[in-house]
Amino acid sequence: MIFIYTIHNDLKEKISGLNSLLQDRYGRIFSLDRKFLRKFIEDHVGPIMPMEKLANKHLALYEAKGGIVGVDGSTNKIGGAYPHFVEAFQGLAKSTLIKEEPIFKANIYTPLFSDTEINILEEDEEKQTQTRNKLLANIEVEVAIESIKKSKPYAILMDGSLIRYYIYSYDLWMKLRQECEAEGILLVGVIKDIKTSIVGDKLTKTYSDLKTKVYDRELLFGILDYGEMIVIDDEVNKKKESGYSSVFMRSSMAPTVIGMDIIDSQKEYLEEMSRLVFTLTPENSRGVPLWLDLVDKEVQISDAIMKGLMERYMDRGIYERFFISERAKRH
Amino acid sequence: MKVVGITTQQEVFIGSKTRNFRINEFLIIEDPYQNDLMGEVVEAKTFNRYIPLNIAGDFVDSSVLESLKTLGYNIDEETIYIAKVRLLNEALYPVQTGSDIRLPEFHEVKDLMIKAKKEEGLILGVIRNTDDMAVGMDEEYKNLLYTFEERGLCPQREIPYILDLKSMHHYPHIGVFGGSGSGKSFGLRVLLEELMKQNIPTIVLDPHFEMDFSQIAPYIEENSIDFEEKFKCLQVGFHVGVKFQDLGSQDLKNLLDAASNLTDAMNNVVDVLFKRKDSFHSFYDKLQMLTDAQEEGSLDRIDNRINYADTEEERKAWARRKELYLAYDKTCPYNSVKGIMWRLKRLENEGIFSKDIREIEEGLQRGKLMVIQGNTRLLQVFSTYLLNNLYHKRREYKDALYKKTTAEYFPPFIVVTDEAHNFAPKGYDSPSKSILKEISQEGRKYGAFLILATQRPTLLDETITAQLNTKFIFRTVRASDIQTIKEETDLTMEETRRLPYLRTGDVFISSASMGRTIFARIRAAISSSPHTENPFDELKNKDKEDIEKFMNIITNKLPINDTDLIHVITEIEKETGITFTMESFEDRLKEMVIKGFLCRQETIFGYKYTIFK
Repeated sequence: MIFIYTIHNDLKEKISGLNSLLQDRYGRIFSLDRKFLRKFIEDHVGPIMPMEKLANKHLALYEAKGGIVGVDGSTNKIGGAYPHFVEAFQGLAKSTLIKEEPIFKANIYTPLFSDTEINILEEDEEKQTQTRNKLLANIEVEVAIESIKKSKPYAILMDGSLIRYYIYSYDLWMKLRQECEAEGILLVGVIKDIKTSIVGDKLTKTYSDLKTKVYDRELLFGILDYGEMIVIDDEVNKKKESGYSSVFMRSSMAPTVIGMDIIDSQKEYLEEMSRLVFTLTPENSRGVPLWLDLVDKEVQISDAIMKGLMERYMDRGIYERFFISERAKRH
Repeated sequence: MKVVGITTQQEVFIGSKTRNFRINEFLIIEDPYQNDLMGEVVEAKTFNRYIPLNIAGDFVDSSVLESLKTLGYNIDEETIYIAKVRLLNEALYPVQTGSDIRLPEFHEVKDLMIKAKKEEGLILGVIRNTDDMAVGMDEEYKNLLYTFEERGLCPQREIPYILDLKSMHHYPHIGVFGGSGSGKSFGLRVLLEELMKQNIPTIVLDPHFEMDFSQIAPYIEENSIDFEEKFKCLQVGFHVGVKFQDLGSQDLKNLLDAASNLTDAMNNVVDVLFKRKDSFHSFYDKLQMLTDAQEEGSLDRIDNRINYADTEEERKAWARRKELYLAYDKTCPYNSVKGIMWRLKRLENEGIFSKDIREIEEGLQRGKLMVIQGNTRLLQVFSTYLLNNLYHKRREYKDALYKKTTAEYFPPFIVVTDEAHNFAPKGYDSPSKSILKEISQEGRKYGAFLILATQRPTLLDETITAQLNTKFIFRTVRASDIQTIKEETDLTMEETRRLPYLRTGDVFISSASMGRTIFARIRAAISSSPHTENPFDELKNKDKEDIEKFMNIITNKLPINDTDLIHVITEIEKETGITFTMESFEDRLKEMVIKGFLCRQETIFGYKYTIFK
């Protein structure tokens, strides 16, 4: 009991230490006046504009033009440490038109069968993450392409930044992009957790006494009002070279800000798509469009399913020999 | 439709994306390794993984759902349907998960659902949620009845529930349980109608004066059945009564007790004074003379009466009084004898002793339904006498057959009573309880059957409850009664949980002959209860009637001047024999003005009443 207590104390100190560290570092920035920041954004990043929700007749038009497809992927890993695990990937493209069957695609990966020579010492975390990201991005783009073939939707909402696909799945992505442009299908990415530092970088550049690196996530927290968006000037948007235009928006009552990308050739629809995302987001939510939440929920591979699949379709001996870790047997 | 999840040999879950399940529905599981398995839905659920609208902790508002709907996505269509199915017969192995499910055809379930030919059974209603199977039903089972649903009278769409009358030989007694307004009385009415159709000799104890079958219900348009000749209502003390000479002292005590509770001393008076074969008058005289003597006060004074009697007759009478006084004064206190006397007188005034039960016996002999009406206390006592009498007649006949001697034929019969807990209460003795108990325990051998209805099964004698092999259980709200039902029937947990929510007229029929519980709906009754008129309608109608009557009387007298009232009143009295006072007549006229039937105009001769135009 006492032993646990001492750890506790130690940890407590560490955590409150982190708190004061962050406070020291960001205190100045967080104490910036909200008005000042909004002004700064308008001057240096892009205009702050209020959005209106789309009217039902507008949405009905989308329905007539093929509905909206939401795309998401998920992964689950079972087994122990490298290389004794299997990772499953699943992608889903689901149309709001109920008659359209959802499109699922799946893939699995295990280092036991990777292309490169297995070398436990060489295999590092980075490389594994790379592989995983590639496979996941691939499968998401694949279902998106498939959905174009099958249902020709009005727009495709991808879960996450479009830049991810550009990086991890370049070839397929280019194909998707071209097809969308050819078919006139709007291609949009919705970013729940923004990782950029557009405003922050601009801030440190302008005020040289601010030396801290600040990300947009924390900087924009509470800065926008419900239903406002920042249309980011392509000039300051680092994604421009990859071919996207972006906005930040506050789509729900939660003070966090989400992001949205659209391919640059469709920039004129940026505002319309922002409004769509805004319309589909419940007022009292974390800010994510409900449609993407539904897709996310449906594509999820739960631990139970993963385990069930392994037990059902793999010989017990093989399963046991390769993939049951010491940890799994503990209880 | 497929079997999902973990299965057992007794129960499985099935799921469907398109078809909602109904409770008590029958389904066939096509297990690839075993033959087709029949099961019944015992729990039905729907589930939508997106509703309650809580996705990753977010509360989803309806405007977003509305938007999605406009975009073509209706969240309701993500609903899946789940049913818990209990197999009728245990399977050899747990059911294979993933097995297909289909709906059974009528011929596959016929033996389970229909145990008797329609001519030989009581067609009481329909088995709920069987309309899918009823599509391929044999013609003879179609269009037998109507049911009442929310939208009114409906033709039969489901498989009929036919109670196998012959099975009563093995499973003789029926209980009908349900709270007030649950459809219990209607169920009983339908049961009785069917018994009449089959000409089954039946006694109905009717404390509510409601078992009259002469009125055909207003909703029945075509009706070929007339119950008029098949039943008879008899009131205790008016049509039927007790033959005093047939009474034993216990019977008599029960009767007197019904008039007003007896004290121990009074019980003793009857024991001492009442002799078998006493007539009402001989017994009453005996009491009268004893009190006369007791009023004299002492033996000396009685002797005086004898010695100084004016006539020989008087002398003899007082001598007789003396005899009684000597024999009984010590054991029969004056007050108790008096008490017996006035109780006896009261019963006599009610007419109980002036009639007998011959009419009932005759009716039973002819296969009629005899309805005995009276207040609960009177019925309790009379039924004790009546049932004892009838049951022993039937018993003597059967015993005589067995012993190969002769006895007068007496038919088997059914005893039906509502509020049975009054006739056979738990925990204390009631005159009628012992005979009901006797019939419940050995009536089967002799062909005497019980149908006992009560809203308080908890208050019904347990020995009798245990003998009720078939039970009709209507909506029950009271927890203690639900508990009793749980203990006394084979209703499952799921079914008892549904009891408080059953619709009026829906009933669980737990019957030993079926071997399982059936969820049924009682058919619409052909006849209607005399108590169905709403009392508030009654008030309104009565008012209307009064107005019409009054207007009829005065119409030809109009216009009426208020100076002339006296003449009008005399004329009316002459013509119709109805007398009004000036005041009451004027009041009535004013009332008619307020109600808009008459006009009141002021003239130089005072007010004038004319018809309202």
